[in-house]
Amino acid sequence: MTEELKEEMKKLKEEIANLRDKIEDSTERKRKREPGIYIDVGDRINDYVTDVMEGVAEGIHGELEKSIFIGPRGVKMGIFKHKKPSWEEHEKEINFSRASQVMSALGHEYRLKILHELMRGGKYMNELQEKLSEITSSTLSSHLDVLEEAGLVVQEKARGRYLITIPGRSAYKMAKRVTKFLERRNL
Amino acid sequence: MNWQDHKLGNTVYKATKKTTLWTTEKGILEILENTLALPVNVDGIVAGYVFRGEGNLLLDTIVETAEGAIGESVDRKLNRLFLMLGTNDDLQKKLSPAINDDLTRYGFENQQEFEVKAQELLAKFLDGKSHCSNNFNKKNGFIFAFSNDNNGFDILVTKDHKLVFKTSSTVFVSNDDKVVLKGPQGVVVSNNGKSVVIRMYK
Repeated sequence: MTEELKEEMKKLKEEIANLRDKIEDSTERKRKREPGIYIDVGDRINDYVTDVMEGVAEGIHGELEKSIFIGPRGVKMGIFKHKKPSWEEHEKEINFSRASQVMSALGHEYRLKILHELMRGGKYMNELQEKLSEITSSTLSSHLDVLEEAGLVVQEKARGRYLITIPGRSAYKMAKRVTKFLERRNL
Repeated sequence: MNWQDHKLGNTVYKATKKTTLWTTEKGILEILENTLALPVNVDGIVAGYVFRGEGNLLLDTIVETAEGAIGESVDRKLNRLFLMLGTNDDLQKKLSPAINDDLTRYGFENQQEFEVKAQELLAKFLDGKSHCSNNFNKKNGFIFAFSNDNNGFDILVTKDHKLVFKTSSTVFVSNDDKVVLKGPQGVVVSNNGKSVVIRMYK
């Protein structure tokens, strides 16, 4: 009886050891196959994935832009590694004055509507006035001045047409993204 | 036409009214009333003018791309000597001989002093080289040379809707919907709305 029990205990120990090995192997394989930090995002997974993908896309776009340099000897293209700045460095890099100028320019419903219209192409004053008929031409003109001063819009002086600039497009997209992000979270 | 054989005219003129020297949808160059004009003759015909007075240059050196607009508008007061190679009938109709008061208004004691300055400008522009070209007229185009702060020239070359504008920091070439802009922000090549943008990073 004792011998049988001993034999049974030995088999059980072996099985437990095998199971432990299998569990460890499986976890290791899984870890190697899918490295990263796992976050339980619950039913918000779609929003989370969308946000991550937008971040990645923006990162790739930014890296590509940084990969083209122009020097006195010509144009150089390549992929360069950029050290991720620490929080302190990141904070130092912010130009608060410029940031507040841009945010202030974006901080009005009609200025955002103007940018929205210009995203579709350059427009003359009368074309903008038609689209924003609820405000007077002098109000429209003062909003355009604010956008121009912030560098989000430029006017062709000879033709009089208004165009959205590269910073203007980026700022408008940012405003749109922030709004969508908040709306998705009912905030 | 050999520009080394040029001769300045004997008479200094003044604009009797505001006169447009060049205009397209991309820009306009005009001189105001009383601006002095000294003809530059080549082979016995008027081939251009040296101006001194007041005027304006408006030029849109902006390219609209899918990423956004790049460039800026040039809005410049023309209150120094500048050169125009080429002429048009409209200008000649709006000129009358200047008197001494017209010259003193812009700091010249007499006609000779203005001629010396005009000759210096022309010699500096030609820079000792023999520049040959076709006749310049309204049909064949214009070259404008403006003295800049770097002791050089900002140059505007135009013919019909084609133009080239060069300063120390910008080169803008435009032919209807085809545009090339090299400026402080980068380089843009645009053809009928499609563009390649190479942006400059500090």
